[in-house]
Amino acid sequence: MVSKQLTLVNAQGFHMRPASVFATAMGKYPCDVTIKFNGNDVNAKSLLNIIAACIKCGSEIEVVCSGEKEEEALAEAVQLIESGLGE
Amino acid sequence: MLKGTAASEGIGIGKVLVIEEHSLEYTPKTVVDTESELSRFEQAVEKFCENTTEQAEAIRKSTGDKEAQILEGHIQIIKDPYLMSEIEKLISGGMCAESALEQMCDLFITMFSAADDELTKQRAADVKDIKTAILSILLGIQELKISDAPKGTVLVADELTPSMTAGIVKENIVGIVTQTGGKTSHSAILARALEIPAVLSVENAVEILKNGQEIVVDGSDGIVITNPDSNQIKEYTAKSEAFIQERRELEKYRGQKTVSKSGEEYELFCNIGKPEDAVKAMEADGEGVGLFRTEFLFMDRSSIPTEDEQFEAYKKAALILKGKSLIIRTLDIGGDKDLPYLGLEKEENPFMGFRAIRYCLKNSELFKAQIRAILRASAFGDVKIMFPLVTTVDEVRAGKKIVEEAKLELKAENIAYDENIKVGVMMETSSAAVIADLLAKEADFFSIGTNDLTGYTMACDRGNSDVSYLYSALQPSVLRLIKNIIKCGNENNIPVGMCGEAAANPQMIPLLISFGLTEFSVSAPSVLKVRKNISKWTKSDADAVAEKVMALSTEKEIDEFLKSMI
Repeated sequence: MVSKQLTLVNAQGFHMRPASVFATAMGKYPCDVTIKFNGNDVNAKSLLNIIAACIKCGSEIEVVCSGEKEEEALAEAVQLIESGLGE
Repeated sequence: MLKGTAASEGIGIGKVLVIEEHSLEYTPKTVVDTESELSRFEQAVEKFCENTTEQAEAIRKSTGDKEAQILEGHIQIIKDPYLMSEIEKLISGGMCAESALEQMCDLFITMFSAADDELTKQRAADVKDIKTAILSILLGIQELKISDAPKGTVLVADELTPSMTAGIVKENIVGIVTQTGGKTSHSAILARALEIPAVLSVENAVEILKNGQEIVVDGSDGIVITNPDSNQIKEYTAKSEAFIQERRELEKYRGQKTVSKSGEEYELFCNIGKPEDAVKAMEADGEGVGLFRTEFLFMDRSSIPTEDEQFEAYKKAALILKGKSLIIRTLDIGGDKDLPYLGLEKEENPFMGFRAIRYCLKNSELFKAQIRAILRASAFGDVKIMFPLVTTVDEVRAGKKIVEEAKLELKAENIAYDENIKVGVMMETSSAAVIADLLAKEADFFSIGTNDLTGYTMACDRGNSDVSYLYSALQPSVLRLIKNIIKCGNENNIPVGMCGEAAANPQMIPLLISFGLTEFSVSAPSVLKVRKNISKWTKSDADAVAEKVMALSTEKEIDEFLKSMI
């Protein structure tokens, strides 16, 4: 299992488009990907669950990857979030 | 006449087409052959994705990529691995496809609707739209094809779903009326993008309006005229033509610089009241924000917002503006703007009393929290601070001292901010205008607030109909003060803007160009109009007009002369 603490930087938070970019990217990996936020575990491959978590700009989150190709998944997750999810 | 929310400007005159909601009722049943039920569900999803892709392509051609993406998002939602696997689990357990779909969609609709975030709330409408579309496919209901609507159709529906909007042929649909949906709903955004006049949130529209009935949709004023007589038709046809003509004319100025005919460049900003309004400023082609009123953050609540809450709001606006100028005015409370939780005493003469910078300097804890929040936001954009209602040099010095203290605190706490943040003065009292030469040595910029400046200078309350005739920024006294403020700013090499209503007044523009104003800050819908008006003047023509105006003795003469010049 690998994980990293991150701050969400895109202005509107994890709304439709960024959530969709992120969920689609994570869906490519066989490992489980979870976003820990506000004491909840959010399934990061599910766009709907990410939106429902209401993660706003500036929020501290932890991305946890566990299973096959976890290193690659985490690297892409970090890159996506730090670059503002294409916004 | 019916009233609603003006969601997309313009006038539409046409015949009603009511889009009725089909009953999506079914009898839930237990399935034995779960394999074939699963495949029935999968086929419905596949059909849905095909339809949606088709609609998205149509909308991409008619409207644009951004709007098409909203629809394509629906495919991503239904293909969500969590949603799919949960629905499949329910079907495998013996539930029929309709119930399984509805149960899971409703779960997310409830969750999204309960969020305290506007964007998340809007997603509930998307999930509802998907649910309806797939249920229709499962139940074999034929949807009315909006794309077949004839020329001159006004669409009337409970709610305009994104998939309905996709079927709209721009040339045929002249207006939209719905029972639900606000200014920021998908329907409204799409209607604006398609430039179709729309009035939303019209109560009982679907029952009142009948198929084939002729109506007028006034998307500028938010009204629907149900049985227009020939005079009304004539009146609104003229209004519609004028509107289209003006819009076409103004659109030429979108994306252009703000320049006078003789080539001088100006900054053209917007006034906003909420961080979200920064989006409107950008949509309207504003080049930044010249006045962010912060009062809204303090209103409709029972206690002072924390530094963090304020920081989030200011940062949000800064991020939306992506490095464009954001002038944040510190709290302008007191006077007519009371906050019960501050426990301000009733005053005999609140406009002359304990308000704005005066209140803030006495309540330094509240003031410093706001300054710290603004400073923290300055790490995320081109943020500037502006003090309201300044009358003396001492006030500016005291305010700047607090800014410096806050900077030291943040530095000690290792929190990022813009070390060179500009601190300006809102020039809205006669005193400030008269000592503009002294204030210009203390301030990094001026912004003229003509509304209060006019009121204080003319000693007149514009709400009082017995004296409101005095209230005009074209009064010789007010113009002399404006001229002095700009002159003192120019002499001290600091930018001078104007954020009052006068900045958008076509009569004022030649005067402001001549006096040497560098920045105009107006409401979002005025941006293109002001840019157009500025482009009409050369500096020398403006100088000639200003010279004549300053030689006139009465407001009436000035008003008449300027009217003849524009």
